[in-house]
Amino acid sequence: MATALILCIGNDLVADDGAGKAVHACLEKITLPAGTRLVFLGLGGIDLLEEINGEDLLVVVDAVQLGAAAGTVHILDWQSIPVRQPRPVSGHGIGVREAIEVGRRLYPEKTPQRIFLVGIEGACFDQLGQAISEPVAAAIPVAVREILLLLR
Amino acid sequence: MSKTIKIDPVTRIEGHARILLECDDAGKVDEAFFCVNELRGFERILVGMEASTLPQVTARICGVCPTAHHLAAAKALDHAAGVEPPVAARLLREFMYMGHVIHSHALSLFVLAGPDLVFGLNGPAATQNIVGMVEAEPELSKKGLRLRSLGQKINETIGGRGIHPVTAVAGGISFRLTDSQFERLQELTAEAVVLSSELAGRTKKLLFDLFDANPVLLDKLNVPSWYVGTVNGGKVNFYDGELRVIDESGSVVTEFDSRDYRDHIVERAVHTSYAKEVFINHGGGEHMYRVSTLARLNVADGMETPLAQAEFEEFRRNFGRPCHNAVIQMYAKLIELIYACEKAHELINNPALRGETRVPATFRGGRGVAHVEAPRGVLIHDYEIDSKGIVRAANMIIATQQNTAAINKTLKEAANNMLTAGDDEAMLNGLEFVVRCYDPCLACSTHAVGRMDFEVEIRHGGRTIRSLRRK
Repeated sequence: MATALILCIGNDLVADDGAGKAVHACLEKITLPAGTRLVFLGLGGIDLLEEINGEDLLVVVDAVQLGAAAGTVHILDWQSIPVRQPRPVSGHGIGVREAIEVGRRLYPEKTPQRIFLVGIEGACFDQLGQAISEPVAAAIPVAVREILLLLR
Repeated sequence: MSKTIKIDPVTRIEGHARILLECDDAGKVDEAFFCVNELRGFERILVGMEASTLPQVTARICGVCPTAHHLAAAKALDHAAGVEPPVAARLLREFMYMGHVIHSHALSLFVLAGPDLVFGLNGPAATQNIVGMVEAEPELSKKGLRLRSLGQKINETIGGRGIHPVTAVAGGISFRLTDSQFERLQELTAEAVVLSSELAGRTKKLLFDLFDANPVLLDKLNVPSWYVGTVNGGKVNFYDGELRVIDESGSVVTEFDSRDYRDHIVERAVHTSYAKEVFINHGGGEHMYRVSTLARLNVADGMETPLAQAEFEEFRRNFGRPCHNAVIQMYAKLIELIYACEKAHELINNPALRGETRVPATFRGGRGVAHVEAPRGVLIHDYEIDSKGIVRAANMIIATQQNTAAINKTLKEAANNMLTAGDDEAMLNGLEFVVRCYDPCLACSTHAVGRMDFEVEIRHGGRTIRSLRRK
């Protein structure tokens, strides 16, 4: 049986950063294919490596800022995730792509072969206590559909 | 009519480290200032809150050292309530704390500063991150990351949460170990001790190679100062003990209980930064001092645990007492990492850890003061609590603010050496490296952008004459 891990990342206290949490909430209500594990992480970074366990497929879900219109749902193979240039000053500065590269080098047996980022383009990341914006809320079901397609 | 007052904390925690260089007529740097938006108003926010919430609320001050704030607040509440937590509570708190120190030191050493060790100061920018580090040193990185993860697991098991712990309370800790947790943690700490000793050799080799390749580091970053750190029976201790002060020649000036900190430490607001500058007040003079790993090793006579003690002896033979060089901080951190692993293993194997973990604590009105050694240095919490258990005043002495004066002095030295070279990029790199050696806690203020937004402003006669910014 094929196994999959869906890892949703975000902070529902900070406007559009809550996208990952919203997707997680939707997926919790759905019966996912057998062999699929659904996990929510507040932060991604290297903590992502604690969650992977040699699944066939890893889907990371998070809000992104890639310069598209708010609400755009990006499906990126992990190698297409932009590289972060400046060196990090804290553990927060380590992104999904960096974590996966570290995983593939250090824990090849644990790191899934197929890895996708489902990124929901957000507009607002600096307002505490605000709900996700309208275009992002509208994108949640789109992201959920895309994730279900990846799981097929 | 109602009025909405919106306080937007995001703008106030914008991650922006700025360096101001004030030049004289001859173009020499007269004064240097490292400026941080560090103050986030917590000392005001806490006023009016229920004192019993302090350990949870203050842990939120920082995602880098939450356990330090959590425990400093709990200990201050013990003091305010006039209670002594049971032995098991004390041991569990210290055990949780060792987990935190392992996590913090492993992250700092192998993830954040690691690329400096592996690639030196002039390595290509693309390798200056964890990915480059992992490629170049897979075994070291794997062990370093595993240690970080073990520390996190310890902190999470005892503290109830991975990042912001919740279990320490006035009078003890609201947690007891189950048999299976007890056994599991014994295995994890045993693994940590082995890993830390395996890491030591390679890490030291990298450090010494870095010094050999960059003699200027050992030569130019020696800024004499006083040091303050916690000792218990003369040995380094993170959770409890007396604050020992040594002068720039290494002589012990005084030792005091953190409850009397106001008799020894003076705080002063400065016009260039949100962080107040702090000095030791002694013999009618104000003395610049430093805290953090190097300071702890400078003030201590030794380490409590065998592997760390052996490393400590080598360290002291090589660098003397006190060692004034900020770069050696990384070496000191390695020794403390080994200590924290050994200490955690010792604590979890202490049967007294399974005893009663709480005594009742009530507030009758009065002051509560306590401290811990945060990974980055002395952290003091001071509260005035009324008879209803409400916070009436709060003051905190934070590690980074105690180092600000020394950072400024080192920057001045470094800038005078580098300004003349005329290479802006080299100067930015050099000054950033200086700041990183002091390991200031900017992480809270920079996590939204995830990079050190770094600017150097050169001024003369109150006018900005040049501004350097990383592109």
